[in-house]
Amino acid sequence: MPALARNVEVLGYQVGQRTEYLLLLERYVNQARELQALAGPGNEIRVARCEDAGPLLQVLGYHLRNGCGQKDASLAALDPESAFLTIDSGFPLTRLEQALISNTPFSYPYVPSQVPVLFAASDWTNMNRARKQGSPDLLDAFLRDPHVARLYWALSRIDPETRNDLQRSVGLWNLLSYAGVLDFYGTQICIRSGKVLVPGGTAAEPAWKDLVGASPESPGEFVTHLLSQDRGWLAAYFDTLARVSQTQQAHYTQGSRLRDLYEAFREPDPNASAAGASFRKAPSLLVLFTRQQWLPNGEPRIPGSPDAWKQIAGKHTRHLNHPEQVLEAMVSFSRLDMESGPLQIYLTLSEVDGKRPPQRGLSPETMLLMARAYADFGSWYPIFSEFPELTDASITRFINVAGTLDRTSNQQLRGNALGIFQANLGLWQILARQGEIPKDQLDSSWQRIIDPFDKVSSPAQLFDGGYKSLGELMLAATGKANRSQDEIIDLLAGPPQKGPQGEKIRNEVAGKMRLVIDDQRLTPLDTLWELSDGMKAMEHGAPASKNLIALAGELREFEMPRPIFTEGEKDQWAPGVFSQRHAELQVRTDLAKVIEQPTTPAKLEAARGQIAPFLRDTLVGLNYAYYEPPGSQILHINPLFVRSHDFSGETVQGEEHLWQPSTLFGIGAPAGGGAYLVGSLADLPYVLAASEQDFISPENVQALIWQELVPDVLAGATVTRWWSVSPHEMHAVALYQQFGEELLTVSVGNPQLRQKVISILSDRMSPQRAEQLEQALQSKNVKSELARLMPADTFYLAAEFRQRFPQEAASWGTSGEALDKLSRQYSAEVSLEHISKDFGIPHPALAQNYGRELLNVKPFPAFSGYFSRLFGESWDSSNLYWARLADEKSVSPVTLNVLSPQLTRLMISKIFASDFEDWPAVVRAMHEAGDDFLQGKVALQAGMQTTAQR
Amino acid sequence: MAKRYFLSSWLSIGLLGTGAWTAAQDDPAQIRVNVNLVQLNVAVTDAKGNYVTGLRPQDFIVTEDRIPEKVATFEEGIEPARDLADANPPVGEIAAENTGQAGGQAPADPPLQPSVSRYSDASVFILFDTSNYMYRGFVFAQDAIAGFVRSLQTASKVAFYSYSRDLSRVAPLTTDRTQVLQGVRSTVAGDDAALYNCLLMTVKDAARITGRKVIVVFSNGPDNASLVPPEDVAELAQSTGTIIYMVSTQEAQLEPISTAVFERMSKATGGKAYFAKSWRDETKAFASIRDDLAHLYSLSYYPQPNSNRGWRTITVRLVGKDLQKYHLRTRDGYRLQQTKASE
Repeated sequence: MPALARNVEVLGYQVGQRTEYLLLLERYVNQARELQALAGPGNEIRVARCEDAGPLLQVLGYHLRNGCGQKDASLAALDPESAFLTIDSGFPLTRLEQALISNTPFSYPYVPSQVPVLFAASDWTNMNRARKQGSPDLLDAFLRDPHVARLYWALSRIDPETRNDLQRSVGLWNLLSYAGVLDFYGTQICIRSGKVLVPGGTAAEPAWKDLVGASPESPGEFVTHLLSQDRGWLAAYFDTLARVSQTQQAHYTQGSRLRDLYEAFREPDPNASAAGASFRKAPSLLVLFTRQQWLPNGEPRIPGSPDAWKQIAGKHTRHLNHPEQVLEAMVSFSRLDMESGPLQIYLTLSEVDGKRPPQRGLSPETMLLMARAYADFGSWYPIFSEFPELTDASITRFINVAGTLDRTSNQQLRGNALGIFQANLGLWQILARQGEIPKDQLDSSWQRIIDPFDKVSSPAQLFDGGYKSLGELMLAATGKANRSQDEIIDLLAGPPQKGPQGEKIRNEVAGKMRLVIDDQRLTPLDTLWELSDGMKAMEHGAPASKNLIALAGELREFEMPRPIFTEGEKDQWAPGVFSQRHAELQVRTDLAKVIEQPTTPAKLEAARGQIAPFLRDTLVGLNYAYYEPPGSQILHINPLFVRSHDFSGETVQGEEHLWQPSTLFGIGAPAGGGAYLVGSLADLPYVLAASEQDFISPENVQALIWQELVPDVLAGATVTRWWSVSPHEMHAVALYQQFGEELLTVSVGNPQLRQKVISILSDRMSPQRAEQLEQALQSKNVKSELARLMPADTFYLAAEFRQRFPQEAASWGTSGEALDKLSRQYSAEVSLEHISKDFGIPHPALAQNYGRELLNVKPFPAFSGYFSRLFGESWDSSNLYWARLADEKSVSPVTLNVLSPQLTRLMISKIFASDFEDWPAVVRAMHEAGDDFLQGKVALQAGMQTTAQR
Repeated sequence: MAKRYFLSSWLSIGLLGTGAWTAAQDDPAQIRVNVNLVQLNVAVTDAKGNYVTGLRPQDFIVTEDRIPEKVATFEEGIEPARDLADANPPVGEIAAENTGQAGGQAPADPPLQPSVSRYSDASVFILFDTSNYMYRGFVFAQDAIAGFVRSLQTASKVAFYSYSRDLSRVAPLTTDRTQVLQGVRSTVAGDDAALYNCLLMTVKDAARITGRKVIVVFSNGPDNASLVPPEDVAELAQSTGTIIYMVSTQEAQLEPISTAVFERMSKATGGKAYFAKSWRDETKAFASIRDDLAHLYSLSYYPQPNSNRGWRTITVRLVGKDLQKYHLRTRDGYRLQQTKASE
């Protein structure tokens, strides 16, 4: 019933008009009622002989072709509307058909199912009647009144004790006016023992009483005030605060901060409705409240000084003399839908600054420079959060050189320059993340790979700059500048491994990267280097060699796919799509012609510049190859995908933010030559995952790939590498999860322990979920609850329990004991900080950082637009679970480099979710994938061995 | 540095050496198949469209990039295949197949010879468009597919897939028609249409199958969600020797892009496109596909040494003046590819 109510509300009406979906739903119900009538009191549809099938077939919308008992008889649709419903409802049509063909009896149990209903059905139908919709049946009440349906959906997600209290104290009729607000912002409202539990706890109750205008001890009055004030904004504020950790809540409810921040929040447009759109509002407030850092004295930690924020926020703000006022200003900005406003800058700079040691905070000049350039280069700033070793000079260098390249007037040169520059930065990021660039060289190497692009004004200079820049990167990573493409790929695949198993896996990862490079038919870097060297020598008088001509010929080996459309048809059917221009120019490049004929040094240099686009493609291709999502198809089937990457916006009109993460263009345009990316290489793992996600086939019929979640999960699997994980660390991750489960199991018979467990877990789940869990533990139904818990929940429970109750940690089970022992033996190796870095996922939207981290947040709700990613970023269980499985199967940690993407893809194919926030469906899919692995259905790929086999 | 190519490709086709298949099994995410045999399915018809039967291997001339090829196996319709003498794989190609690069040593094992059962049947993959574009005629299209499945006598195995934004492998390749029919009746309509994405994955599934394989697509056309272009899918189908038939209605002809792709893609792979008046009127299309399956000549050859590492053009002609009046329909080439990731 909740899902039905939700669908009626979300899909049933558009601009007040009934949709096709609702019409279908009504017909569906009508057909079900007709079938129920046919089934009669025996609750079974029976057709004794084929000749008696008429009434049933009429309801089903089918007729029998070629007569009863005939071998070639078959059912065919007669009334398409009814037939559609028959199919859609899963009626066993094939079985009926076989019975009719063989003229044998057909029977089909058609038993009405009792489903649980919130309160009494009459509560809803009476309300419906009072609204003059007059529905005697609960189903009809929902179908005819979306407000009633929305209230039902909203209350179904509130814990039973709270909603019963609300029914008593407020009444459904009164709640109906606030159905929208309750739907979006009601799930965190929690009433216990006649009192509303407010964010900040008991200490914060007076502040809430003051703000809401009613005491939490009068739940009916408090909730009514909360929902009704300021068109839902107070409820949105309450909901946001309730979703952050208890530690954060304590900060926001200190002194007058609760009221001050709310005043700032409601100020921008108090007349706007908080529940008037399709999605919740003000997602950035949740990000801000989750990530805000604090000084030891309780003040908000802001990057830089209030003065700096005066300049950054400019005309948007008035009083910014104190960090509190800066925070208030940011809360106010959270109401505005801006992509690069002061709040976005604040969030990013907070993360960059917060990762640095206090003595090396961002300078005011750097902050201002970053703020001014945020609209252009802000998407690249997460690299400075990930690597706090990068100094202000490095940041400044990046912004200045990027700006210079961006101002290149020649569009072709600009596109190639941006591509080569960004590709080299991307390669630096990979090697730095894998620990292949020594920490003390991160800053200097960053600057050295940027410097060669400082004064690029011709294609030949660009080629030389790209070559030098890559050489600097190799120098920093290996001590030698000149490396072959094979060596570079090996390096990207992972750091050299000591054991044969590690080397095998590393070779396998490298092999997968080579496949991408081969399938994109990219010119090897070695060819480009040799060609350039030879041509340079010719510029200085050396003769053209046969080898050089042969190398030039290699550039021409790439063939465009055989066209299916004529040029005229492409112009007509895919107007304005110029994605293949870059590749077409390459096909026309004929350096052999220049080399073979007598020419001048200037012409030779110009010809050498023609190699730059090839260099761009191969370097960009290396980035694509590294972040290849599991099961990718485009990277292997469309050889133009890398070449078509448009860095300078020359294939589209009006694309201004070219340094932002790429956008896919050309989807569903068959004459356009395939989809391609427009934009920068920032956020490439996510962008590639989003591009490839629909090539995963859902295992369940009617399931679709869950686009709000899947790209983040895939990106988490491609970014995560396991080279530095030791068996002890992996074992610790397994023990944490097992210890969490032990605590839950023991808490069944121990109320005091149960209270501790629930208190810890309430930081990771909604009140409804926490109550479910508590009831399950009370009723000793722990097994089913363990199956519903996320691995990150049990991990967090164990970690937090050990911190809060260190004396008890070893006394509740063997895993806790083993964990204690392991922690004593290998304290650094199995520390939470270490585990978080190795087993966490990147959170570019939430934490402005591609570095991996376990953030321990409650599952985020669904938002629209960019913030929809918060939803996916709050799923951080996969790595923990795969590691646990690997530990249980005695598979080495390095094996996870290939196993984890494989299992992640399998998990995604198994997700069968009913609605946006159906997290249990994801957990279920993960367990199913894990079961397949444990049962040996997931083959360990070549080169893998279990520890026992080695 | 010279660009290194592996003499490998998508299974082009009916015969696969065991060694090649073992290699593929090492890595389930990839198919690594060497070109050890190219198989062609050739329809020969007269001026009225009737199938011409009774032709002999020596009636055909096959060239690849104008290089004459020796026919290694020959089969007509559903009859068992015949191995022809003196058509062993050229040494260079075999060496390449086994060493991964040109000019290696001779193979340790001889190429696997075809068995009768491998050649005497076809695997049919049905791909059904269940996108929003099919909403109105959905149940009639479903009936049409059910009718087609019932009528398939010559194909030993049928798989049923459906697609909208994503591909659903509803019924895997099976001889159980009831399972397929249940799969057909379990589909529901909705969401965007990514025909070429899903056809690509179907071609890849078909590529794993030995013997003759065809894909029959039931679609009304528009594609609003694919990321891969039809030309890439067509190339892959050609390179893997997969015949594509497109079954559609005149409604699709209102959209010229789909019409063009349907006709050209099916033709390029040796198949056909059909546009009936409505989904209830597909009898002719079904009969035609069944006839094709029953009457195609299957020829195979081991490619002679050929330095072309890109697209290789195949030409098939009939020998003799008397036979020049007949029409031939088959794929016109394939691309030598390295390795491919797969589902």
